[in-house]
Amino acid sequence: MEYKYVGKNYNRPDAISKVTGKAIYLDDIRLPGMLHTAILRPEYAHAKILSIDTASAEKMPGVVKVVTGKGCHYHYGDNIRDLVPMAVEKVRYIGEPVAAVVADTLAHAEAAMQTIKVEYEPLPVYVDARDAMKPGAALIHEENGQYWHLPTLTPTPGTNIANTYRLVKGKGADGMKDAEVILEGEFLFPHGSCSAIEPHGSIVWFKEDKTIEAWSSSICPFIIREDLATSYGVPVSDVRVHIPDVGGCFGYKSDITVEQTVAWIASFVPGRPVKWVATRQEDYTSTLLGHGIRTIMKIGAKKDGKLVAIQATILHSGGAYADTPVNVTMAATHNCTGPYEFEHCDLTGYTVYTNTPAVGAFRGYGHQESQLATERMMDMLARKLKMDPWELREKNFLGEGKVNALGEKMWKTHGDIYKCAEIVKKKVYGKAKHAEDENFYYGRGFAAVMKSPKGAPFSTKGCYMKMNIDGSVSVVMAGAEVGQGLRTVIRQVAGEALKIPPEKVRVYTEIDTQFSPYEWQTIGSMFTTQGGRAIIRAADKLIAILKATAAQVLKTDVDYLEYDGEFIYLCNDPDIRVAIKDINRGYITDDGITIGDMAQAVSDARLPRYSNPDKNGQGSCGVSYTFGVQAAEIRIEKKTGKIFVDKFTSVFDVGQVINPKQIRGSVMGGVLMSIGAALYEKVDYDENGKITNPHFFKYHLPTYKEAPEMDVEFVETPDAIGPFGARGIGEHSVIGPAPAILNAIYDATGVDFFEIPVTPEIMKKALENQGQVTK
Amino acid sequence: MSEKITFTLNDVSTTVDVEPETLLIDVLREDLNLTGTKRGCDNSTCGTCTVVVNGKAIKSCNTPVSKVAGTEVITIEGLAKGMELHPIQKSISESGAVQCGFCTPGIIMELYGLLENNPDITLAEMQNALNKHLCRCTGYEPIRDGALMAQKLMQDRK
Repeated sequence: MEYKYVGKNYNRPDAISKVTGKAIYLDDIRLPGMLHTAILRPEYAHAKILSIDTASAEKMPGVVKVVTGKGCHYHYGDNIRDLVPMAVEKVRYIGEPVAAVVADTLAHAEAAMQTIKVEYEPLPVYVDARDAMKPGAALIHEENGQYWHLPTLTPTPGTNIANTYRLVKGKGADGMKDAEVILEGEFLFPHGSCSAIEPHGSIVWFKEDKTIEAWSSSICPFIIREDLATSYGVPVSDVRVHIPDVGGCFGYKSDITVEQTVAWIASFVPGRPVKWVATRQEDYTSTLLGHGIRTIMKIGAKKDGKLVAIQATILHSGGAYADTPVNVTMAATHNCTGPYEFEHCDLTGYTVYTNTPAVGAFRGYGHQESQLATERMMDMLARKLKMDPWELREKNFLGEGKVNALGEKMWKTHGDIYKCAEIVKKKVYGKAKHAEDENFYYGRGFAAVMKSPKGAPFSTKGCYMKMNIDGSVSVVMAGAEVGQGLRTVIRQVAGEALKIPPEKVRVYTEIDTQFSPYEWQTIGSMFTTQGGRAIIRAADKLIAILKATAAQVLKTDVDYLEYDGEFIYLCNDPDIRVAIKDINRGYITDDGITIGDMAQAVSDARLPRYSNPDKNGQGSCGVSYTFGVQAAEIRIEKKTGKIFVDKFTSVFDVGQVINPKQIRGSVMGGVLMSIGAALYEKVDYDENGKITNPHFFKYHLPTYKEAPEMDVEFVETPDAIGPFGARGIGEHSVIGPAPAILNAIYDATGVDFFEIPVTPEIMKKALENQGQVTK
Repeated sequence: MSEKITFTLNDVSTTVDVEPETLLIDVLREDLNLTGTKRGCDNSTCGTCTVVVNGKAIKSCNTPVSKVAGTEVITIEGLAKGMELHPIQKSISESGAVQCGFCTPGIIMELYGLLENNPDITLAEMQNALNKHLCRCTGYEPIRDGALMAQKLMQDRK
């Protein structure tokens, strides 16, 4: 639909501060009396701590305090309270904080930290859920089952299984009996790192007045506030958390990650702010990882391609603490059906403790991991059925009237995946495939994808809006700007809702829990949907206030009044009007008496009727869906096995584009991120659980020359929830690339891959085994 | 032992009294409070710490400050003239090249080193330079677009 401001390009309000080097990120913050800390990490990924000798560190130059986990009696976490800020009796992963030095400079802290001596008694190490689940495996948490956890979770005491989530739809596994063709497969999406270019960091300051002030490169200030208040026994209102500019998130700066550790350290030097910023190595070894999901899938279909049943087991190597991976596992499990309807589902997800950094959110949140399986399986099933892979998918798409695994019915307002498929098919398959030549095999592959947010019952987003004397508007929200461009979205949506140019909307530049309205956390591609809704609600309230004042001024009833951004006027005689600028602080009459309220409003918006899963694991747990289709056109070098993605096409039904330039940038970034996952990126461990590639030169992020030509297009079937019909798109582009590329590899070479990344060595070996390469 | 090292920093003669092996990035950020130059990695891989020394883009995270004694150093803070952005800053801010912005200063300084020296560089030269910088947000296309816009502006300026 045509709107005045929505759907147009506006430059980001934060671009100028970022190109001039003036944007303030966490490490750029300097506070009076600030101290620095260096954190000691263990030599083992799983070991008992026998002793810690800090005597020499305490005598080193500049040292103010040496801190260990001794005496730490609290656990924290929002889903399972299994986290500790610093290791107490044992270490569970290679990046766990064991001790820390607080000093006047970072160099002094680091030098002293090196002198701390720790004795360990090594324990068995598991980096894969399959090993950690074996009967008799050493327990990573002896307390499993005893920790406080959400009532919806079911840990298995005496094992390393932190949670089992099961979803049954229809006849469940029995539904497989209705199938005429059955296909099974096992797929692995290994651990990866979000690898934002800005590493994690935090500053925490315990003040003499018993309040706590913190700064963090995070997207969940309100969670940090509540967690610190709980852990340190102060009112939530006495913890103040600031979020400066954030240099990329992609998931791993959500949930509480490093803040509790820095707080624990800072609590030993009350009165002084303590800063910690991760080295790149620490960013890999000591913050949240992504993925680590093995999907074992069985799909049953009729001979005509009608899907009938799906069984899947998700084995999630969740890392040393289950608080953050548990919801990723659940999302991976109930979304493993992809954008298809299955009458019968039996899906089980295991979140398993392993001796790796904890897994947390990674852009896509479980969807790309299990839909890697679904989208490879759909191609393989089409082959088995001798059916066109497009036809098989189209026959089973979650179109209008279909019901997903969770039991949610799809409506027209959930989007048109058929249209996305039609466009991609025409763009990519409407031409002849490139013929094999002397040096290269050529292939193309596609994937149809779906994503919903993983919310929480209280996951709301607040908005405070005030109109200023000149009619400009200040909007304060608590959405963390991590690069996604939400400030532009706010300006455009607020401008549209208030009928004023976006240039007159000033958007907050930082989050401060003391002033910002509540927001759960900026995750799940929900800011545009929920935040946009909150803006419209606030704008409606603000306009109602203006109309109430105008009704008094114009001596009429509110419902006879119209608002156009500049004036409020009588509907049957627009000449009778009052200017907004004259009523937005109330209306001052000739005799100086002021009537009416200030034009300011507060609102918030949740996903409608979002619920916990019921006893069948079903429920209104997705609510908002975005569908899309993506395709890769690739080239494989015969000599080296190197895979080049020449072109990548993405089409999503986003309901309504808010800002064409920004949405294209977001999709392209997501695509390249997942090309990285498909071809290069994997966190590697040695047999002792040590991460062997915690650096950019070993953990390869895609560079300029590895980016394909991108074709990005949007279908716009208006959504029912989001502002002006817009729906979420922040994460969705990461889901299709890996299966599309793997499907394209098959198309090019006839080789089926079941795990990523497909590096040149792996590809070359597969070609050699196939005897396709003549040396 | 610390020693006095003098260089021109963003057109201003600057003297610091530091250990000569201190890295330039630390002198800029910690001693001179110029936090526009960013640190993104431990091993000189990401490129976000790039500054321009005697007209050439270098990584400040692997350059000891002693090496810049007597040189002209330009950082991201030195590009805009008051309120007027440098053409590269203007183009990069408008092309969609800025998302999180953390790689942005390094990329702008890389382009500054290239284009101020020769605005007529080939696309291949530009691509080789951009390939030295990691960006996790954009997919690089908007960075290329911004670089090309900047090149055009700077060619027209001459």
